[in-house]
Amino acid sequence: MVANIKDKAVIVGVGNTKFSKDSGVSELSLAVQAIKTALDDAGLQPSDVDGMATFTMDSNDEIEVARALGCGGLNFWGRSHYGGGAATGTLHQATMAIATGMAEVVVCFRALNGRSGHRFSSGVSGEITTADAIHWGWYMPYGLLTPASWVAMFTQRWMHNTGVTKDALFEVAHSTREYAVNNPNAFFHGRSFDRAEYDAARMIADPLALFDCCQESDGASAIILTTPERARDLRQPGVTVCGVAQASAPDQEQMTSFYRDEFAAIPEMEIAAKNVYQMSGLTPDDIDAAVIYDAFSPIVLWQLEAWNFCGFGESGDFVLDGALRADGRLPTNTHGGQLSEAYIHGVNGLVEATRLVRGQSLNQPSKNVDHALVTSGVGIPTGGAILGKLD
Amino acid sequence: MTPEEQNAFEEKIYAYSGAQVCARTPAADAVNPAMIRHWTEVMGDNNPAYTNEEWSASSARGKTIAPAAMLYVWNQEGYTVTTGRASDPQTDMVELFNEYGFTGVLGTNVTQEYFREVSPGDTVHVEMVIDNLSERKSTARGPGYFFETLATFTDQNNEKIGTQRFRVLKFIPQEQPAAAAEEKLAVPSRIASPRGHDNGWWWDACDNGQVLIQRCKNCQTLRHPPRPMCGECQSMEWDSIESSLDGEVLSYTELHHPKIPGYQYPLICAVIKLREGTNIVSNVVGCEPSDVYIGMRLKGKVEQVDEKNTLPQFYPA
Amino acid sequence: MSEYQTLSCADVSVGDKLPPLDIDISSGLIVGGALATRDFEPVHHDKSVAQASGLPDVFMNILTSQGLMSRFVTDWSGPDASIKSLDLKLGAPNVPGMVMTITGEVTEKDDSTGEVNVAVLGENNIWGMHMQGTVKLALPQEG
Repeated sequence: MVANIKDKAVIVGVGNTKFSKDSGVSELSLAVQAIKTALDDAGLQPSDVDGMATFTMDSNDEIEVARALGCGGLNFWGRSHYGGGAATGTLHQATMAIATGMAEVVVCFRALNGRSGHRFSSGVSGEITTADAIHWGWYMPYGLLTPASWVAMFTQRWMHNTGVTKDALFEVAHSTREYAVNNPNAFFHGRSFDRAEYDAARMIADPLALFDCCQESDGASAIILTTPERARDLRQPGVTVCGVAQASAPDQEQMTSFYRDEFAAIPEMEIAAKNVYQMSGLTPDDIDAAVIYDAFSPIVLWQLEAWNFCGFGESGDFVLDGALRADGRLPTNTHGGQLSEAYIHGVNGLVEATRLVRGQSLNQPSKNVDHALVTSGVGIPTGGAILGKLD
Repeated sequence: MTPEEQNAFEEKIYAYSGAQVCARTPAADAVNPAMIRHWTEVMGDNNPAYTNEEWSASSARGKTIAPAAMLYVWNQEGYTVTTGRASDPQTDMVELFNEYGFTGVLGTNVTQEYFREVSPGDTVHVEMVIDNLSERKSTARGPGYFFETLATFTDQNNEKIGTQRFRVLKFIPQEQPAAAAEEKLAVPSRIASPRGHDNGWWWDACDNGQVLIQRCKNCQTLRHPPRPMCGECQSMEWDSIESSLDGEVLSYTELHHPKIPGYQYPLICAVIKLREGTNIVSNVVGCEPSDVYIGMRLKGKVEQVDEKNTLPQFYPA
Repeated sequence: MSEYQTLSCADVSVGDKLPPLDIDISSGLIVGGALATRDFEPVHHDKSVAQASGLPDVFMNILTSQGLMSRFVTDWSGPDASIKSLDLKLGAPNVPGMVMTITGEVTEKDDSTGEVNVAVLGENNIWGMHMQGTVKLALPQEG
């Protein structure tokens, strides 16, 4: 059981930079651009910011960001570990800081030159002896070096266990692509694709082919949180954090929890889901739309099961019924997701989930969106949150 | 080189411009199926126009052809090159470059044009001239001169088959920082695990041909990968047992992209359940990727996989 | 019906990409390629001579690179196509242990002659560009 901090913090501003394959600027420049956009969205000044939350992987020191933006001093900074597991981890940090009164206006951000700088697809290497490198050392010598290869190992077994086929993976990829077609900031803006193109794309790590894998992008995303009291005076409709949680599970490794009795599973996400539902008092039936972390197409399916939108092994049928589409049960990744918009480590997902609750998505479903789910990465310690309308 | 020395050198070099390297000479062997087949084997080229007489007979051409890219093969000097090339204007010119310090050599461009296809029975003749010598250039490799040879190929009836232009840079090699050069030239090997307190002993044993499994001395629980404390009883006392390397595939993936330097593809990684009960990640070798399946029985061996690494590798049992 | 198909000019469009081809560079390929092209230069079969020239191992000769480029293009076009020219710029050497990935794209097409230009790039995974150039092919015209 975790403490209940429902509705203690409210998202009041969101911002993305332009997403690209070569930003031509520093990651610090990207960070401050995204944060400034989010502050403008909220109607706040840099001097209002007194807290920051980002990823351990982010290269930008909070104090550098504060100086570059022209913030004053900071009362809080906190980082979340484990790559994309930190997406809603930043939200978790910010919500805790605001709920406890440790800070009043907290920025969550992630900025990366993920294509022109260090690329995840280039794999890990063993140049330094850290605990992390020793961990990767069990995989590097065999050639299991990239996120795609680790997720492929899970996927192969999960498909074997459930009988889910590539039809479902294609539906995940195709639904996000159709959303991206309408999003001018998406890599695949205006570029639809079909099953033949999906099947013809090169294999990356069997069974994952090119379009099962997310982008590698340059860009940054930021959101601003503050107290409900202050949120009511700001420019945008407030989006409250109804529930947020982080979780790891027994025998957890980063992307390689291959030593569990059944490793084709994401028990850490099930724990996060349970705690978020409990904190928010909501159930899957209350969720109208979602941003589900999609570094790879199959991981969306596993999360649909972990968050109880369907039972084990049923996510394939769930998505093939059109659930992820704009008129479906759970419009998902309406910005195009990381498969088709950009890979900003899930923080662009926090921006989109906020927009869905505000009614501002470029692909806003026609139905009322009272609550949106947003999640972090898979295969690592992770988390999720449910966002709702501030009363 | 002073300007005067350079002038004197260039005078000698430019004298070779237009020089005939060899007059029209027939190849020692006529175009023949054996040499074509040897070539297609190595190139992995299954084009039936080269080797499949039955197919070719019914094709538009009516017969097999030699690969166009073999144009310059027929007239190669052959084995005698191992002990040096015979003197001709080109080798003399190259020797002159070498004398003046332009010892570096780099083929930069080669362009072949083909006017007609040749078939077994045709005899390729070649004639070659030094066509072009550049002025002195500063290049990334160092100062140097480009020269171009033009080879003209004809058949037994003196009909033109094709041409080849070959552009070569002769340059004064620049000294490279030794460390940088060494790093750049190292032949890649697999990325080894770093070795620390908690895992070094495992890799040391692997170097000696053993795959060990850590065992809690207190409660006998096996654990892999190694870690300092037993998660069951919190004992820090441990020893190890040697694995039988009998295993079963729990999951696997064939790695296609990116190709990592130092690894041989096709490459299959698998999570393998060992008979002892712990799981290990390793490679499946000795079979086609399409032969691997979940539940497949494997037998492991510790093998040297490249110059630097010794690893367990698993074969179909 | 032949098991071998050849693209006709009408099948091809500018911008078409050829199926990529990965070539494992082994000592066998380098030495075998050198001998199959009758190139007995010692740097292509004798490691110590290659090392004296500053490279870590024997390296691929140009005639083999040309052969692989030719194969790459006709694997795609089919056997009735004729290669009209092969123009290549040479880059970093291929030495054993590397993998060269060859990619290609149709850049020009002339319907009146059936001639098609294919831009080809062969990159090895260590040093990058090994060869880059253009292959001109004559494809059978419709009918």
